[in-house]
Amino acid sequence: MGGLTRVLAVASNTFRETVRERVLYNLVFFAILMTLSGLLLGQLSIRQDEKIIKDLGLAAMDGFGTLIAIFVGVGLVSKEIDRRSLFPLLAKPVRRSEFLLGKFAGLAFTLLVNVAVMAGGLYATLVLTGRRPDAGVLAAVYTIFLGLCMTVAVALLFSVFTSAALATVCTVSLVVAGRYADVLQHVREAAPGAPAWLVQAVYYAVPNFHLLDVKDHVVYGDPVGARALAALTAYAVVYMAVVLGIALFAFERREFT
Amino acid sequence: MTGEPSSDPAVDINNLSKSYRVGHLRPRRQPALHDLTLAVPRGEVFGYLGPNGSGKTTTLKALMGLVFPDSGTARLLGRPLDDPRCRERVGYLPEHPYLYDYLTPAEYLDYVGRLFGMPGPARRERARELLGKVGLTAAAHTPLRRFSKGMLQRIGLAQALVNSPDLVFLDEPMSGLDPIGRRLVREIILELRAEGRTVVFSTHILSDAETLCDRVALLREGRLVAVGRLDEILKIDVTHMEVLISGLDEDELAAIGAGAAERRRTGERWTLHVPEAGLGAFLRAVEEAGGRILSVQPVRRSLEDFFFKEMSPPGGASWAD
Repeated sequence: MGGLTRVLAVASNTFRETVRERVLYNLVFFAILMTLSGLLLGQLSIRQDEKIIKDLGLAAMDGFGTLIAIFVGVGLVSKEIDRRSLFPLLAKPVRRSEFLLGKFAGLAFTLLVNVAVMAGGLYATLVLTGRRPDAGVLAAVYTIFLGLCMTVAVALLFSVFTSAALATVCTVSLVVAGRYADVLQHVREAAPGAPAWLVQAVYYAVPNFHLLDVKDHVVYGDPVGARALAALTAYAVVYMAVVLGIALFAFERREFT
Repeated sequence: MTGEPSSDPAVDINNLSKSYRVGHLRPRRQPALHDLTLAVPRGEVFGYLGPNGSGKTTTLKALMGLVFPDSGTARLLGRPLDDPRCRERVGYLPEHPYLYDYLTPAEYLDYVGRLFGMPGPARRERARELLGKVGLTAAAHTPLRRFSKGMLQRIGLAQALVNSPDLVFLDEPMSGLDPIGRRLVREIILELRAEGRTVVFSTHILSDAETLCDRVALLREGRLVAVGRLDEILKIDVTHMEVLISGLDEDELAAIGAGAAERRRTGERWTLHVPEAGLGAFLRAVEEAGGRILSVQPVRRSLEDFFFKEMSPPGGASWAD
């Protein structure tokens, strides 16, 4: 019980930090984007512009969220180490695992708020411009949020190991690789010399955002079933557990000189 | 003060050693602490002194779990360092603390209180109390990013006291403070001692150690040089006495054999440094020559003298911050 209280304390402080650092200001850009898309796409046929609004809204949600997950995520721990702000905290009865999970949960909550407000904005745009408020969009919003949490886990991992700058480079590389995981899987067709075990290892190591990307299905009205969503959830949870486990292993052994 | 088992020392360090890895191409271990054994009884104000790089901060970091010792053990308030409850009754002010600048002091202290599992009303009350103690009540709702270094140091001190700790570690607590702030910290340390709490602090400001500490430990290059009461450490050097006399002129002084003694004249008075062994004979000679003995005091080196003469690091490194 005490452990959960401390995790929540760190998480709420992390959330407060992102709010105070004006991270949620990206919502203003999203609002402008949605307003402009609603106004400018009126010339197209109803079905066509609905797809574009959904596509644009979901892509913005994913894009803004990924930027936040990477650039805030890489500083979650490294900034605390550089500035030595975690020294007095770790001298309290706070386990390092509680601190790390609190940081993860805090940024994940920020992203949840961000995604939820954007989803509301997307639905509002659809309704206000007389389009169909499709409940299926929520499936894409959900998988976007799962992907963002995975990105935070990856950023946090590198944040524990290295400086914010290097962690940014590593996280961006892994996120980009994860977006093209399907290409990675078939890389031996282009490079037959590549060892199969290595290709498989890299394929499983990168966060498979391609798998989580159901935007196209949703935009074209294809339903995403509950079983598929459950499978994607299981994948994301296992991936995050492994990544956070490695991060914790490293963080437990890290010295703060 | 809470009821921890009081028979154990507040701090009990046994054979603690720590080295750091330095260099990238040819990494090697650089020793920071050598086989440190030290005990601080409960209720003491204990000064931890030494030049830069002597291992003071490393010791405190090892006790706080921020670095891991190569060997040796330590207990705080009777509990080993790996016991999570070990730090429940401990406070720590790191050197040059950086606190979250997006928070106000009230918010920061509330956050720290949450980490100790304190309920909301108790946290708010404690924050109010501590802000008053460190003289920052008026700035309770000002973001920390607008604070001066000295004000941050005060908030750092306040966060170390949120849990009403029985044992407080302060790493250079006077750093960055103006005279008013230093006096305030001194008063807080004395207040903690009056409440029966144990305070261990490292400092470069030797007058503070002389004023505040029951005992001190002197560290040099990671090794314990001396530990004990200040007068015990400094009396080693009482080899001369300072004698204040009047009623004799320079010739008369020379006649009683004090011509070569280290001396200083202030008006009609002479201050002379006399070897302890020859003190009796000298005093008799002064009286026989018609002089008056106004005072006799042992020449006690100040702690600062002791440091500079005995503990200056090789290679000319200084004590300066």
